[in-house]
Amino acid sequence: MTLERELCDSVGAAHVEPLDARNWRVAPGSAAEVAEVIRRARTHKAAVHPIGAGGRPTRSTDDRARVHVATRRLDQVLQLDEMSLLVHAQAGLTGLDLERILGPRNLSIGDYPPGVLTSSLGGILAVRTPGKSSARHGFFEDAVVGVSAVLANGRSVHTRIAPRRSTGPDLARALCGSEGTIGFITSAVLRIHVRPEARLVAAYLLPSVDAAISAVYLALREEAAPSGLRIYDAPEAGVHYPGLALPAGHALLCAGTAGPTDLATCDRDLIASAVIAEGGETTDPALAELWWRRLHAGEPTPGPQPSLQVMATPSKVRAVYHAVVAELARLGGAARAHISRFDADGAVMFATLERGGAAADDEAVAAAERAAQVAGGWLLGARAHKLDAYLRALRDVLDPDRIMNPGTLA
Amino acid sequence: MQAGVDIDRLQRELEAIFGARRVSLRAVDLETYARDMWPRLLLGYREGHPAANRPHAIVWPEHVREVVAVIKLAREQRIPIVPYGGGSGVCGGAVPLFGGITIDTKRMQQVRAVHSAELICDVEAGLSGERFERELARRGYTFGHFPSSIYCSTVGGWLATRAAGQLSTKYGKVEDRCAGLTVVTGRGEVIETDGPSRALRGPSWTQLLLGSEGTLGVITSARLRLSPAPQLRVFRGFEIDDVGAGVAAIRRVLQKGLRPAVVRLYDELDTLMNSFSHPEAEAEAEAEPALAGPRPPVETGALPTWPGPPPEEPDGLVARLIGFAKGKHLRQAATHAALGKSQLVNRLVGTVAEKIARRGCRLIIGLEGARIRTEVEAALTFHELEVAGARDKGEDPGWAWLRKRYAVSYRMSPVFRDGAFVDTMEVASSWERLMDLYHSVRAAIGRHAVVMAHFSHGYADGCSIYFTFVGTADDAAGAERLYDAIWRDGLEATTRVGGTISHHHGVGLLKAPFMAGEHREAMAIFEAAKAALDPDGILNPGKMGLRGPRP
Repeated sequence: MTLERELCDSVGAAHVEPLDARNWRVAPGSAAEVAEVIRRARTHKAAVHPIGAGGRPTRSTDDRARVHVATRRLDQVLQLDEMSLLVHAQAGLTGLDLERILGPRNLSIGDYPPGVLTSSLGGILAVRTPGKSSARHGFFEDAVVGVSAVLANGRSVHTRIAPRRSTGPDLARALCGSEGTIGFITSAVLRIHVRPEARLVAAYLLPSVDAAISAVYLALREEAAPSGLRIYDAPEAGVHYPGLALPAGHALLCAGTAGPTDLATCDRDLIASAVIAEGGETTDPALAELWWRRLHAGEPTPGPQPSLQVMATPSKVRAVYHAVVAELARLGGAARAHISRFDADGAVMFATLERGGAAADDEAVAAAERAAQVAGGWLLGARAHKLDAYLRALRDVLDPDRIMNPGTLA
Repeated sequence: MQAGVDIDRLQRELEAIFGARRVSLRAVDLETYARDMWPRLLLGYREGHPAANRPHAIVWPEHVREVVAVIKLAREQRIPIVPYGGGSGVCGGAVPLFGGITIDTKRMQQVRAVHSAELICDVEAGLSGERFERELARRGYTFGHFPSSIYCSTVGGWLATRAAGQLSTKYGKVEDRCAGLTVVTGRGEVIETDGPSRALRGPSWTQLLLGSEGTLGVITSARLRLSPAPQLRVFRGFEIDDVGAGVAAIRRVLQKGLRPAVVRLYDELDTLMNSFSHPEAEAEAEAEPALAGPRPPVETGALPTWPGPPPEEPDGLVARLIGFAKGKHLRQAATHAALGKSQLVNRLVGTVAEKIARRGCRLIIGLEGARIRTEVEAALTFHELEVAGARDKGEDPGWAWLRKRYAVSYRMSPVFRDGAFVDTMEVASSWERLMDLYHSVRAAIGRHAVVMAHFSHGYADGCSIYFTFVGTADDAAGAERLYDAIWRDGLEATTRVGGTISHHHGVGLLKAPFMAGEHREAMAIFEAAKAALDPDGILNPGKMGLRGPRP
């Protein structure tokens, strides 16, 4: 029997789309169908590539048969445990889908960046990046209590649900970040939150980006737990807030707090005190309200997408920022940036680079990347290759035919 | 024991790596390193039985390169490697089931660096918990990890078992505080995981190695997250009508987003035993709060003063349980008779507990941290508890718990001396399943032994239950049979209601037979990791329910 026929048998012909003679896109409607697709692909030694929201099949560069498995029909909440604040959601649901389901029950997945809202759950979990970190809840993977996935042999695994455990390695965390190479994530159990009683936002003007960074870490050391923080340098503030002209070298800090009213107020006041200690002052709260609406209410943000995203630990954030700005100035261009995604590991700088009145060319971007790395930054999406041999060995055991997303993390 | 080991050759080659002073094949050392604090092994030890499984040699490395060398040697000779920290494990994880080389990490004990700006420190695996926390307190930080074994456990042991400290509700379990590991794998290679690497793609090797109990690698050092030392500490005692109301109250607090450092709810029997454990302190506290004793200074972190030698008359909670069961002055035979009819005792004690402790269940709660936020959070927390029906008993019960919180670990010997045994079973589940878990496990253990429980290590999504049980039998063999039956029935009940079989003690030998039920098909991932990191199966073989090659 041909692979195409077998795929049609597995998920129904309506959900199999031939892309060319050896490429198909299939859309299973259940974990059992995913397992069946993978089993069939394995018998043909065909590659299995997961596709989340917005993902597209890539054309083969060889003659290997490929099955691109879309998660879009895995769009159900399998269980909502309101007592434990846990949701078991299928991999094709986006953060926004989940928010629509949870919102009427006064529940939420939490205060995560917009990328989490627009991505499918399977995609968020399969790829490890700091772009999904929340000042209030930590890294998105920290919200994962359990994962269901299909291995290369077509067997489904379900890691046990427990608030914490001491029964060996965290096997769910082995699947998260593995980009579909260890298993195809079909659903996950996530911690969710009751919508906060109070939400407060505030904006502050500080004499420098360094002072703003210091104020943030001062407040975090006083255990403030903000729901969001963002620092804009003066040029970036001018683009994000047309008409706003900060004094040269100054910075705008927007901060959100949430929780029981007294605690949200306490956190806001701790941040305000830290700002004052660093020579800053409160400014127009409408700036912070607009920032929050852009993050969580879909209001558009002006300006192009940042050309450089760099993570830095708390002690390196300042150096990375100044290194990138200085490098672009040396090349006759300019960099503007905002810094957000503050968590225990550090923060992420989003820089927009320009030269000659246009978006910076590849050479300038590469130079800025090098400068950021020399200053101690980590480019988002980078790979550490030092453990590749162990990952290969692990895949040799689980997937000897290398059908699971071959070419990825290789 | 491993057959066919050339002991003379092994000794020569080990001494070439470590020098003669850091290698031992002495009988007394082999006997000492044959066990950890797994109570089942203590049953035979009490009767004078020699250990069934002893290592061939013990080594004390001081540097990661020595760990590499000994693992390469073991790999060549197909000899098992068993890592050993403080030896405080209670699941037999450090037992050298097939002999081999036991690596005692305690000479790797440096705090290499404290990165203040990052709130990170680099520390070697063999450092004792007490010394680690004192060193951090001296610099104004805390790791926030305070297991009851803190005086006799090591950082590496914590990481290898995913341990929890008493203040885990605020600081998290040890896996929440670990930013990276240095590990020597079964291939004899050093790997460093993660670091400041949420920017990096790929699975989290740190989370894959944490909790592997020496089966995937030997942890030699770690990068750990710190917190500023607390500026303020607030403790209170509450009473609440029953376990169900207490559980609901804790859930209410945690799901509001409040993070006390510790919350402990004692069931009716545990509450009763607690009041017997500290009657003098309670009486003093009730008569005159000022006499309740000095409060531990905040600046020492959560470490208390050294508990000193054990009292001649055991007065710990568990010893009181024995005393209670045997009427304190009855003959030992009566104790055995009482504990032997555990179902009856559980029922009787439950009734007595209910009647005597009309006031309900005891709940201890404590917060610590930065001054302003802790004050606000404490007020909100206490308010939520009162809304949930808890009655505030003031600060003294909280401070009394804080003063005595390490004592119980050092007061189990009298129980064994009296011919009985005691152990603890720490399971966990989501809130939805928690009361089912409590009733099921309590009933399962209660068929065999006197059992009580407290709820601690709470999270927004669930909680751990810590069962303490005391049993007895006529001889060591009978005690072992009873002990095995308790664990079998308790863990089967746990799995049946969807709980996890261990919250923080680990697996070792004790829970290895239950790993298949715990992880089901997902064990395939653990076994694949084992094959990748330890292809010859030399690392801590026979543990954690892993199959595959053995040396």
